[in-house]
Amino acid sequence: MYLGLKEMCHEKLRYTLLSGVLLLIALVVFMLAGLANGLSNGNRQAVDAWQARIVYLNKNANQTMSASQLKLADQKKLSGKQIAPLASLSGTLRTTNNHLKTTASAFGTSRTSFLMPKLVSGHQINGKNQVLISADLKAAGYKLGQKVRIGTTKQTVKIVGTYGKSTYMIAPTLYTDIATMNRLKGAPITSGDQQTVNGFVTKESSFKNAKHGDLEKLSIATFINKLPGYSAEQLTLNTMIYFLFAIALAIIGIFMFVLTLQKQPLFGVLKVQGIGTGHILAALLTQSIAMALIGIVLGLGITVGLAQIMPAGLPFVVNWPQFGLYSLALLAASVVGALLSWRTVAKIDPAVAIG
Amino acid sequence: MTQAVLALQHINKQFGHGHTAVTALTDANFEVSAGQFVAIIGPSGSGKSTFLTIAAGLQTPTKGQVLLNGTELAAQSEKARLAYRFNEIGFILQSSNLIPFLNVTEQLKLVDKMAKRPFQKDRAAQLLKELALSEVATAYPSELSGGERQRVAIVRALYNDPSVILADEPTASLDTPRSIDVVERLANEAHQHQKAIVMVTHDQRLIGNCDVVYQIEDGVMTRQRG
Repeated sequence: MYLGLKEMCHEKLRYTLLSGVLLLIALVVFMLAGLANGLSNGNRQAVDAWQARIVYLNKNANQTMSASQLKLADQKKLSGKQIAPLASLSGTLRTTNNHLKTTASAFGTSRTSFLMPKLVSGHQINGKNQVLISADLKAAGYKLGQKVRIGTTKQTVKIVGTYGKSTYMIAPTLYTDIATMNRLKGAPITSGDQQTVNGFVTKESSFKNAKHGDLEKLSIATFINKLPGYSAEQLTLNTMIYFLFAIALAIIGIFMFVLTLQKQPLFGVLKVQGIGTGHILAALLTQSIAMALIGIVLGLGITVGLAQIMPAGLPFVVNWPQFGLYSLALLAASVVGALLSWRTVAKIDPAVAIG
Repeated sequence: MTQAVLALQHINKQFGHGHTAVTALTDANFEVSAGQFVAIIGPSGSGKSTFLTIAAGLQTPTKGQVLLNGTELAAQSEKARLAYRFNEIGFILQSSNLIPFLNVTEQLKLVDKMAKRPFQKDRAAQLLKELALSEVATAYPSELSGGERQRVAIVRALYNDPSVILADEPTASLDTPRSIDVVERLANEAHQHQKAIVMVTHDQRLIGNCDVVYQIEDGVMTRQRG
């Protein structure tokens, strides 16, 4: 400890530079993690809000909701609690005068279903052609009582309520009932149990019997992973983060190794005086942990600071448990990096310091 | 005569095997007691360094034994020898064995840190005063003159209160007046603090203050005086 810290204080430039490199790595790790979280959140926030566990889709839909088509009547093949039909539509939301245009994800479900969001203002859907909009859409300028269109049909609907932040596939959500959704889609049947829906979402349910036709049961996790682009996007960003851990390890490892080679004569003298490999390694570990801590703490600080001034359109979410875990991973990488010099330190022969 | 603090008995040291073998020491016998200042003198390549590394337990002899306070060094584990070196042997090396990023006082603090005991402030002040270093107590090695550096090395060696101090060409980087000063101080410390001090040198002029002088040449050690 003493040796390591005293050396850092004496060789400020050298150790400040390496702390700076670690700070940059930590910053990139946290920024990528924040973006990965932001994108992930943008894709699944609405799904997470459902607090559901199972989704049923058409088995020919390749586990993708937009490709799945079922009839409302298919619900009879399921038994369990809280089963909600779900129809989805991704389209352009616009005011009737075309002043506002926003890409949105629209969901249709039964008026009393558990999928219907908790309202912040307005009232629940109680009549034809009513929609609820998320806080994101409200922030974009849409108001209660406004008439809007979604998609390509001429059907207009009225905003009657707003709820909290909610996005699905990076677009803000809105909710309506099944019949209104089918009118918005221009479907031929807009009442009764022959209406089309995309799937069923439930908290707890199972197939009534073996005759479930085209229905396929998915866990909510599978459903999210199958969102178009979701897993590819997360995998790309996470791979970059994992590589950065390896890079941090390599940088600390190489730097400490070069310093060790450079300090071999000094370490030889220490060993002659009875200050052994253990003490020398402890000094190296102290230094790499101190530098990693400086880098991580500053990196976190800058990340949080940047998150405050980022444009609202940039998906960025600070997830503290995850950031904590990544900090530990960076710390572990620097410990392992320092330990790479173990053999070199152990092999230094104190006899070379004499003669 | 009191028991020798450090004794080397019938030491042989060979490097290599077969026809490439080089004999560095042949049947060397040596001893030093508390309060004695002993010089080992010889030209370069005579086996002085080999002698020192064996005396310090940094190398094991091919034959013979090294007794430090009556304990055989070669029989100890690597860890025990490290502890022996730390507790029982003080070193003064050729150029200076100071740590570049610690100031003079911190060099001594480090010894206490390693020994896991609080800093002996009074002892440090006393030794620094004795070697006329009080003025430079907070200076870094790079800010000291060669003579000051070697004096700090003497303080550092004495500070841990070892049984024996091994000095390897302690005046190698100094001019004559400073060399004589350093050697006089070593002699003084040996007599005043009842330390066994062994100085290896090639400089004939420095052995005036020594109680015993050994000559070493081509690996053969002979007692010259005392």
